[in-house]
Amino acid sequence: MPRAVVARARDLLVGYGGAPVCAPVSFTLPAGRALALVGPNGSGKSTVLRAVIGLLEPAGGRIDVLGAPVDERSPQFRAAVSSVLDDDAYFPSLSVAEHLYLVARGHGVLDAWDRTEELLDEFGLTDHAKMLPVTLSSGQRRRLLLAAGFARPRSLLVLDEPEQRLDRRMRTTLTQRLLDEKAAGGAVLLASHDAELVDAVADRALHLDDEKNELLSPAAAAERIARTPA
Amino acid sequence: MSAPAVLPGEVGTVPAARSIRRFTAAAGRTRAGASLGDLLGDVYYAVVSFAIAGGVAAGAAQAMRMSLPVAPQAAAPTGLSLPLLAAVVLLAGVGVLVSLAGRLGPVGAGGAEAAWWLGLPVDRRGLLRPAVRRVTAVAAVAGAVGVALLEAALLGQPAGVSVRWAVTGGLGAVVVLLVAALVQSAGVARRRVALAGDLVLAGSGALAVGFAAAGTHFRTLPDPTWAVAGVAALVAATLVWLVDRRLDAIPARSLREGGSVAGQAMGAVVSLDSRELGRALGVGTSAPTRPWRSRLRLARGPVSALVAADVAVLRRSARHVVQLLLSALAPVLATAVPQLEGVAWVLLAVLVGGLAASSATAEGARFGEMAPVIDRLLPLSAKDVRRLRMAVPAAAMLAWSLVVFAALGRWAGAPGDWLVLGIAGTPVWAAAAVRAAYRPSPDWNKPLVSTPVGALPSGVAGVIARGPDLVLLCLLPVWIAILLQAASPVLVVVQAALSAIAVLVASSTSTDSWFDRLSKQMDAAEKDRRR
Repeated sequence: MPRAVVARARDLLVGYGGAPVCAPVSFTLPAGRALALVGPNGSGKSTVLRAVIGLLEPAGGRIDVLGAPVDERSPQFRAAVSSVLDDDAYFPSLSVAEHLYLVARGHGVLDAWDRTEELLDEFGLTDHAKMLPVTLSSGQRRRLLLAAGFARPRSLLVLDEPEQRLDRRMRTTLTQRLLDEKAAGGAVLLASHDAELVDAVADRALHLDDEKNELLSPAAAAERIARTPA
Repeated sequence: MSAPAVLPGEVGTVPAARSIRRFTAAAGRTRAGASLGDLLGDVYYAVVSFAIAGGVAAGAAQAMRMSLPVAPQAAAPTGLSLPLLAAVVLLAGVGVLVSLAGRLGPVGAGGAEAAWWLGLPVDRRGLLRPAVRRVTAVAAVAGAVGVALLEAALLGQPAGVSVRWAVTGGLGAVVVLLVAALVQSAGVARRRVALAGDLVLAGSGALAVGFAAAGTHFRTLPDPTWAVAGVAALVAATLVWLVDRRLDAIPARSLREGGSVAGQAMGAVVSLDSRELGRALGVGTSAPTRPWRSRLRLARGPVSALVAADVAVLRRSARHVVQLLLSALAPVLATAVPQLEGVAWVLLAVLVGGLAASSATAEGARFGEMAPVIDRLLPLSAKDVRRLRMAVPAAAMLAWSLVVFAALGRWAGAPGDWLVLGIAGTPVWAAAAVRAAYRPSPDWNKPLVSTPVGALPSGVAGVIARGPDLVLLCLLPVWIAILLQAASPVLVVVQAALSAIAVLVASSTSTDSWFDRLSKQMDAAEKDRRR
């Protein structure tokens, strides 16, 4: 039975100030699958993700999520798409646990405190539950952002370099989490420089370039990442 | 859209936006530890400070009004009447409000709200209503107070009329702001709204010049009636309803941008950092262009490269070019309005206009202060960099001085002498601009001094005065010439000497004030003596 298409881009052109950052992007992302955007720094990975979640107006082409054009003003869109970017901003007086609870409860999760405690445990933040995020290390704040991405319902999970500032153990946890996400029927779109993560999680990879984007297998993408100079 | 595929648990209905705001606020209050007494104390302090500031401003406006001579019976062949000047200033105020509204949103959600609220599927209107109420209240108060002060200063009508002016001014400001919010909800880019405001501001200046040249006169401005105020209230109420309905149409990127700018601007105001305020208000309002590199054809070495870069920075900032042009209008208009032709008004106009103009020319220096690595990239000493940074401000202020001092010459007679005096004083403006650009930020680690406007770090006045101090002291010959309405050759010679001193002072890289340096020198001399 064909899987429902969660996200589809057709000749999507993204950029700033009228200048595209990469060649037009086309992809189809079905439910239960993961697509990785790979490429060197500045190749447009984050820009494409921002267009997918509606934070950037495309310069051309089209991007649809769950059969409708991207419009983050729609509550249904916001209920379906969870994103973890690099938004390092927190309410100065809300604790780590309260941030997670806010996300869960704000999406209508009824047992929000129970889900919060589970996520705190999964992402190694239980001991920091009552602390303020500004007192955490950058890696711990990253874990908080990731936990928030999983604290709410979603059909599409968008991640921008989720492996950043994570130690090896947390990367393993993240990898398993993303595999579970696919198994549960969610779609994953991630930008990454982590060859192991891409190889383990992605079903396909899209290598972004100025002139021509290239659809690769996860193994080929991982090899391309490994070959890219640090 | 179908229901989400992955559920973290049992999912019910999405809560109301109000409950999200309340949860955030309640959790914050619990942790902040502020008591009701603290809150009442803050409110009392704010009311008292506002009342003191309002009283001082009203008194100044009243004194200004009383100092103005009675309008001449016969209309002058050229010049502006006070009512016409008031109308032009009102129009300029509208331009400033629109420009600010475009730069700040006017509706925005910054930082944590953007990261943690905007992604929720709750009714966004409920999340944004408090922000809209805040900016509307600020606009209403600013409009009422601004128009009241303007009316008191220039028109001096009876109290009842002044109240109508204030009420209508407040409502008018609310209408302008809410129209900007509607435009934002229609997806119009912030920079276009800001540009519209800048054009209105520039247009008010052009109108003033046109009216002055044409000799157009209004004896009085039509006073707003209560019917007019009622219509303004009705329009404002309609716009409030419309904006509320359209709040959820504002895209998140616009809310984030506006909120980010507002947060940066508020931080700059609280930190008393005018340079950061200028940067915050300039973010995202430049027209998007294809990236291009200036070839800097004039650059032949480090000296010409630095100057060419400063020229490019000024050329690319339309806001600063407009500020430079408009600030030349203030002294020109002061000499063109019969009732403002007094020496005190002309002196004030030259001082304020000059400070505004010189501030607009030093953007390159401000970038250099913000990122010292820029200055260190070139094989030049720090002092040489400071001197070279004065080149572009000097060229711009030379043009400004030629316009302003030609007007002063027309006002006082002997235009040639005034032009020479203006040219001799040009380096002081440039030196003041660079000195202000490189001034250190207030040191909040120093002991705080309690003032009616809040706790300020000691020494903050000395920091803020860096730049204007050169203008006040090293342009004394200009101030004396204006007071005497005569530019003598002696004053020109003294001005030239003071200009050289100003350039020397502005070239210094020391961040200590004159008193601090004098104190340190005395301490060092005392230690040497004891050895």
